[in-house]
Amino acid sequence: MSMAIFSPKLPSFTPHSHAKAHLGLRPSYLPLRHLEKLQPPLVMSSDSASGVAPTAPEETPVTSGVESLGSNGSATPPPVAVESVNGFQDARWIGGTWDLKQFEKDGNTNWDAVIDAEVKRRKWMEDSPQSSNNEEPVVFDTSIIPWWAWMKRFHLPEAELLNGRAAMIGFFMAYFVDSLTGVGLVDQMSNFFCKTLLFVAVAGVLLVRKNEDFETIKKLVDETTFYDKQWQAAWQDETSEKKK
Amino acid sequence: MAASIALKTFVGLRHSSPETNAITISKPAASPPRTHFRITASKSSPRVTGRNLRVAVIGGGPAGGSAAETLAKGGIETFLIERKMDNCKPCGGAIPLCMVGEFDLPLDIIDRRVTKMKMISPSNVAVDIGRTLKPHEYIGMVRREVLDAYLRDRAATAGATVINGLFLKMDLPQSKTAPYVLHYTDYNSKTGGSGEKKSLEVDAIIGADGANSRVAKGINAGDYEYAIAFQERIKIPDDKMKYYEDLAEMYVGDDVSPDFYGWVFPKCDHVAVGTGTVTHKGDIKKLQVATRLRARDKIQGGKIIRVEAHPIPEHPRPRRVLDRVALVGDAAGYVTKCSGEGIYFAAKSGRMCAEAIVEGSENGKRAVDESDLRVYLEKWDKTYWPTYKVLDILQKVFYRSNPAREAFVEMCADEYVQKMTFDSYLYKRVVPGNPLDDLKLAFNTIGSLVRANALTREMEKLNL
Repeated sequence: MSMAIFSPKLPSFTPHSHAKAHLGLRPSYLPLRHLEKLQPPLVMSSDSASGVAPTAPEETPVTSGVESLGSNGSATPPPVAVESVNGFQDARWIGGTWDLKQFEKDGNTNWDAVIDAEVKRRKWMEDSPQSSNNEEPVVFDTSIIPWWAWMKRFHLPEAELLNGRAAMIGFFMAYFVDSLTGVGLVDQMSNFFCKTLLFVAVAGVLLVRKNEDFETIKKLVDETTFYDKQWQAAWQDETSEKKK
Repeated sequence: MAASIALKTFVGLRHSSPETNAITISKPAASPPRTHFRITASKSSPRVTGRNLRVAVIGGGPAGGSAAETLAKGGIETFLIERKMDNCKPCGGAIPLCMVGEFDLPLDIIDRRVTKMKMISPSNVAVDIGRTLKPHEYIGMVRREVLDAYLRDRAATAGATVINGLFLKMDLPQSKTAPYVLHYTDYNSKTGGSGEKKSLEVDAIIGADGANSRVAKGINAGDYEYAIAFQERIKIPDDKMKYYEDLAEMYVGDDVSPDFYGWVFPKCDHVAVGTGTVTHKGDIKKLQVATRLRARDKIQGGKIIRVEAHPIPEHPRPRRVLDRVALVGDAAGYVTKCSGEGIYFAAKSGRMCAEAIVEGSENGKRAVDESDLRVYLEKWDKTYWPTYKVLDILQKVFYRSNPAREAFVEMCADEYVQKMTFDSYLYKRVVPGNPLDDLKLAFNTIGSLVRANALTREMEKLNL
């Protein structure tokens, strides 16, 4: 069962390095897995066994691990070539952070490239989680990238999109209201109902980006008060008791 | 009116109680709780004649031990029923500094003092926290069997009767003054392995029997959502153990847990590596493998010496008090979100409930009823609600997704955050800090979250 677990976690790996990763990981795990096989009687005290799967499936990976090692003959010595799984490697990733000097373009740091590099690194880390190492700790902090770089790359395009939507809605609504009531744009702005409509339109454009957002917002509102309700359950109980 | 007259004659007739009352209880005429729908029946409830009030505490963990001690010191005839005296509970084992003082714990109970923590994000960004701790501040790591036994022994010294037995069921009383009848299997007697079935009559019950509480079932307390915490105790080589001498680690990430965290906590001579989850209980083994992978370099060469798992409640049960039965500790569901801390709250709630019973019964001279136990509920909710709510918000915001966790770890690097976190954890106070710093903190938090989410959106584009 664990074999199946390993494969989805390494989709971007070629089959060759996948096998190497297996070998690289297995030897250090073998003593642990072997002992785990002997552990089943110790797993969980009697009354807390609810919902926890038994350790029986552990048996299969041990045997298959042994098999793959055996078939490779003498290729058993630890990390044959495990660079590919030993942390993130990149020419510009030095000392656990991005070396900004290598991102220079025309004398200035190319922040977009830094963001791209970090995105790739995080994607790689998510797909193949690495052991956290004390010798090469990761100390990268996203705040070294200045705020205007974030603005330019992420905020401005989205702002443009949303402003565009708001403008289209605003134009159409102003025309629509004018055609229905004959009230011009300037007079609409001084009317309370129209101001409310404007507020709703702006809030809607900001909060609702996809169809699913309606449900998401409802769920979020429920979520904020859910814990409180759970705590007050003991008191609800009391008022209903009194009525008896 | 009649109540206060009854009080006067009662006081006059009472013999001076032989028990030395170490705990100062506020004077008997203390006003009952002032919420409008509460009946103050206890003040006119009958005197218990010829004997003291009998209270049974089911479960001898931190909650049961401290409840039994407080009851016994308050002059109440206490029975503490515990099924396994040497129970080695699967537990993180971390206690805050305030617990040592509040419960007068001897310092040799604490195996280790953790003064440093490392938070590790999904992309392995590692942040050290603990710089702001003063020299006398630490997180105590204890062995549960040692702590539980100590509290139970103290209860026994105070006058509680400790019974080694398994609680089976209780018969609810037919009237307001009738006693509860507990049925349990006594392991003390010499009748071979399986123990002897016995029963015990008591006037009130404190259910401190943990996450799978039978007392809770007995009063139909309702269910709670629970997390499964899975832990492996690993003995690692001495040189690797040195690193964990006073340091605990927390790993966050979807690979390690979709709604909680993975941990490496140092114990007396080995480390406990574990993880937990509410929503993906079936994947717990996979999550544990991932946790071991993340810590691989630091626990390499280790041997697993024990595997254990336990349910952890996520929120209180719908009903925590019924008639003269109250739940405390894990049985009531008093485990915080975000950190999953339960030992301190178990002990404190046990003590608070016992104090309410002692006070309501006037040191065991009067019968108690539900309103006295509700006093404990009210006090508990009022004192600790802010703590629970804040931790709930933190969990909802920061354990939501990988970018949220990245932002969380980034924020932990901030000294102000560290100071606030440790202050509130070690002393159980939600201390409002300097408003300017709070504003800066809010700003930085939003910034971190926005940046991390922006990066994640770019990551998703890479996938397509």
